[in-house]
Amino acid sequence: MIRFDNVTKVYKSGTVAVRNVSLDIQKGEFVFLVGPSGSGKTTCIRMLLREELPDRGRIWVAGREIIHMPKWRVPYLRRNVGCVFQDFRLLPNKTVFQNVAFALEVIGRPKNVVETQVPQVLELVGLAKKRDALPSELSGGEQQRVAVARAFVNRPLILLADEPTGNLDPATSQGIMRLLDRINRTGTTVVIATHDAALVDWMRRRVVELDQGTIVRDQARGVYGIDATSGSVPRTEVGARRTS
Amino acid sequence: MPLSPDYIVRETATNLWRNRLMTIAAVLTVAVSLALVGAALVLKQGAANAEVEWQRGTQVEVWMNPTSSLSENHAISNELAQLPYVHACSFHSQLADYHEAQKLLTTSEFSALTPKTTPASYRCTPNQPQDAQFVVNRFKGQAGVLKVGAPLQQIHTMEETITVLQWVFVAVALVLLLSAGVLILNTIRMAIFARRREVSVMKLVGATNWFIRLPFMSEGLIQGLVGSLVAASVVFGLHELLNSLSNNSTSVLAQMRLSGWEIFGTDAIVIVIGALIGTVGSAVAIRRFLDV
Repeated sequence: MIRFDNVTKVYKSGTVAVRNVSLDIQKGEFVFLVGPSGSGKTTCIRMLLREELPDRGRIWVAGREIIHMPKWRVPYLRRNVGCVFQDFRLLPNKTVFQNVAFALEVIGRPKNVVETQVPQVLELVGLAKKRDALPSELSGGEQQRVAVARAFVNRPLILLADEPTGNLDPATSQGIMRLLDRINRTGTTVVIATHDAALVDWMRRRVVELDQGTIVRDQARGVYGIDATSGSVPRTEVGARRTS
Repeated sequence: MPLSPDYIVRETATNLWRNRLMTIAAVLTVAVSLALVGAALVLKQGAANAEVEWQRGTQVEVWMNPTSSLSENHAISNELAQLPYVHACSFHSQLADYHEAQKLLTTSEFSALTPKTTPASYRCTPNQPQDAQFVVNRFKGQAGVLKVGAPLQQIHTMEETITVLQWVFVAVALVLLLSAGVLILNTIRMAIFARRREVSVMKLVGATNWFIRLPFMSEGLIQGLVGSLVAASVVFGLHELLNSLSNNSTSVLAQMRLSGWEIFGTDAIVIVIGALIGTVGSAVAIRRFLDV
């Protein structure tokens, strides 16, 4: 579903954000990208959305090589990749329903589809009763649920989340993780960039650790730091275990 | 991607209302700038009209010798009628010129004249003022001709003045148009800058550039149209004001007067420029925010 092949990204300032990263993520996987600030997690997410282009290497998303993809095709790529951010990125003047419906409207879905799918996904994220509320009337957790609903309403193949719990308290963060887990169980591949150790430890999913732009650990059912009980798993083993 | 007119209309109306302060700023900028451009165009057209009016009044006078024979008179008359660069001629008899001289000359000057000693004349309008020189050259010294007169120096000065005046108005209109373009573009860019977050969200969820661009362009079109309609009204008002000031007058203002079609044409130019600046300006202004 996602493949990085020797990807390197150097910013104009000379900072190496990602160095020779190779990574395979299969359909339906749930993967945490972890590491300290500046380790290259966000750059990886941005490259998957083609907001950034690598200097070297190739990237495949949903079976398509995206580096050489013509610009006009990028919107069509993004329709297959839902995205959630730390700052929610909701439109403040639109209601919950309108924010979620917006993702369907921009891709030209007919009105009847919007009327059916938006309530369904609002039900899924537990915000059916707040459909007419404005983002400013919601808590941080609720706003992030709206963002998740918007990212998922189009049933994308992949859902990316960049520090989705960065602005939330631990209990609310767990609620968001449960929601992302439910979405993952529908077959959607979920990739989360985070440095929330507690959540990673709690979820026990595949963990890819980056440090200074390089993958230093790739562990199935891992934790945020080195797991003393299971130890880190070599990356090749993770690849061999892929079943889903 | 299907882009429904319903969506464009809804988004345009919502955005215009939501950003009404910016909308008013854009409309006023277009209105003020294009009113100035329109006024410069009206003045340019007025100068052109004044030139035509003045050209119509340019005359070459062929004065016949009071002792000239009838055949000499006929020869001159025939020749004038056949010249391609002479638009029209009228013959003033000795008696008619005598009466005219009575009105124009002082009593002491006039007392020296009698109808018999007053020369008859042909008053001719050349096709172009500069053709007057040809008429002068042609008849000067011809049998029966006393004198040929034309305001050649005035023609030259007036032509130069009007040409310079027209270029000045065109240059003013162009400079105003350029500054209007920059002002309008800047206003639209500010409006879009305030909504860059919205644009980034649209890009994020997979909107194509045209999907994002079209509502902005239709907003720009409406702002440009409304602004230019206000400007066109101002230009029309200016025209009406000039007309009322120049009524029953023979001043330059009266000569500069524009016809209904001319003012309609100027207003049409102003409206088309307004619509184009609004639409194209929006498309240009949003370009940098689409490159994500």
